[in-house]
Amino acid sequence: MTPSRKFAVILLAALAGAAVTAFSVRAQLQGQPGAPPPVVAGLPPVNRNLIVLDPAHGAGDGGAVLGDHVLEKDITLAIASRLKAALAADGFNVVTTRDTGGSDLLSADQRAETANRAHPVACIVLHATATGSGVHIYTSPLPPPPAPNQTTNTPPVFVPIPWETAQAVFVGQSHDLATGLSTALSKDHLPALVGQAPIRPLDNLMCPAVAIELAPLPAPGVGATQPTDASYQQQVANALAAAIQAWRAQRWPQ
Amino acid sequence: MIPRYQRVFFWILAGAILLMALFLLRGCEQAREKLTRHRDETPIAAPVATPSQSVQLALADDADGSIVMVQRDVALPAESTARAHALLARLIAEYSYKTSAHPIESGPAVDDVFLLDLPLHPAIATGARTPRTSSAQPAQSAGSQVPASQLAVVNLHGTFADHHPSGIEAETLTVESIVGTLYANFPRIEQVRFLVDGQPRETLNGHADLLRTYPVLNTATRPAQGNH
Repeated sequence: MTPSRKFAVILLAALAGAAVTAFSVRAQLQGQPGAPPPVVAGLPPVNRNLIVLDPAHGAGDGGAVLGDHVLEKDITLAIASRLKAALAADGFNVVTTRDTGGSDLLSADQRAETANRAHPVACIVLHATATGSGVHIYTSPLPPPPAPNQTTNTPPVFVPIPWETAQAVFVGQSHDLATGLSTALSKDHLPALVGQAPIRPLDNLMCPAVAIELAPLPAPGVGATQPTDASYQQQVANALAAAIQAWRAQRWPQ
Repeated sequence: MIPRYQRVFFWILAGAILLMALFLLRGCEQAREKLTRHRDETPIAAPVATPSQSVQLALADDADGSIVMVQRDVALPAESTARAHALLARLIAEYSYKTSAHPIESGPAVDDVFLLDLPLHPAIATGARTPRTSSAQPAQSAGSQVPASQLAVVNLHGTFADHHPSGIEAETLTVESIVGTLYANFPRIEQVRFLVDGQPRETLNGHADLLRTYPVLNTATRPAQGNH
């Protein structure tokens, strides 16, 4: 055997060994609890360091009126800035759909477009209200898509994702995120309520998405703490940031 | 001494005031006659005594985000759309009580309720491509007694939507309360759509989506999970 043939044989053996090792590692990862969920076919990989915050309302749409003529749009913006700072401290990159300088009102579709272009690890829609109590966490009421049939050997076909039900693919992950946030808030003595709500743009978001609604915090003897309270906003923002960090570490380990 | 011309002027003014008062009174009488002349108080339908019957209302509670089915005795008309309208009016009236767990301002809430048989376009739904003159078999035989499922279109008053408490929880509970009440009392209704003042509207008052078609579900069995 000539030296060149020997070299070719060694090279082929090395390539085969590398392929076998890669397949075995992949199979082990898929079987492990806590491994990253499979990437959805046809979608680019998510940016695990990116969070999209959507402070609801804005410009001419003030939203609800809370307390002493305070508009919901101003409260959601304040919570978003606090949450953004807390997430940035944890190493996240944060994109917000509007900021203090924004004067144009974005439609729900435009907000969803902004989020979907970024491929974030999670999307948080922020609201505030004067009714109810504690922190309300909502996910989309869309049913999850049916599981693909594994027995048939038909080749995969391109199926476009409808805009109105784009969130369906991520509903399971959104529920996990909502449960994680609820648990973290409860540990911080903040009452949390988890449910499903038909609000836009949740159904159009292509990422694990929840809507957080800040309601008055019941305090025995001294009356309820309103969502306009800065310390209440900060407490919620800190709890949410820590919960998102823990959820990402579990679902999307490095 | 008052000059004569001033006394004459005074009496002329007094007379003019009197004439104007008489003219005004006469005008008022004529207007009242005109209004009452065309009022027809002839009864056109005999009053029907409707017995009270037990209905179920899906009542919302803001405290824990839940919806509970409760029974009420209500006198309802027999005709379906009028019945649905009266039932939803009663449901919203429950929320206007001071002790309500889901307070909403009192006032007219539901303008109309329309019940439409599904599918709305049978030819499209069955995929029929044959012309009307063809002898193709209809999708459902004429003798079939299976009642069609229905779409309920609830037309809300604009003032009700504008003054509804703004928030995800409050608005979602109102929508689910309406859907749950229709589910409990109208078994043929499968879907619900909402209009406000006869027009599609994006949200109830900034949050709950009113552009989608809601499947009719038993919302009382799906309370929000609470940790408190």
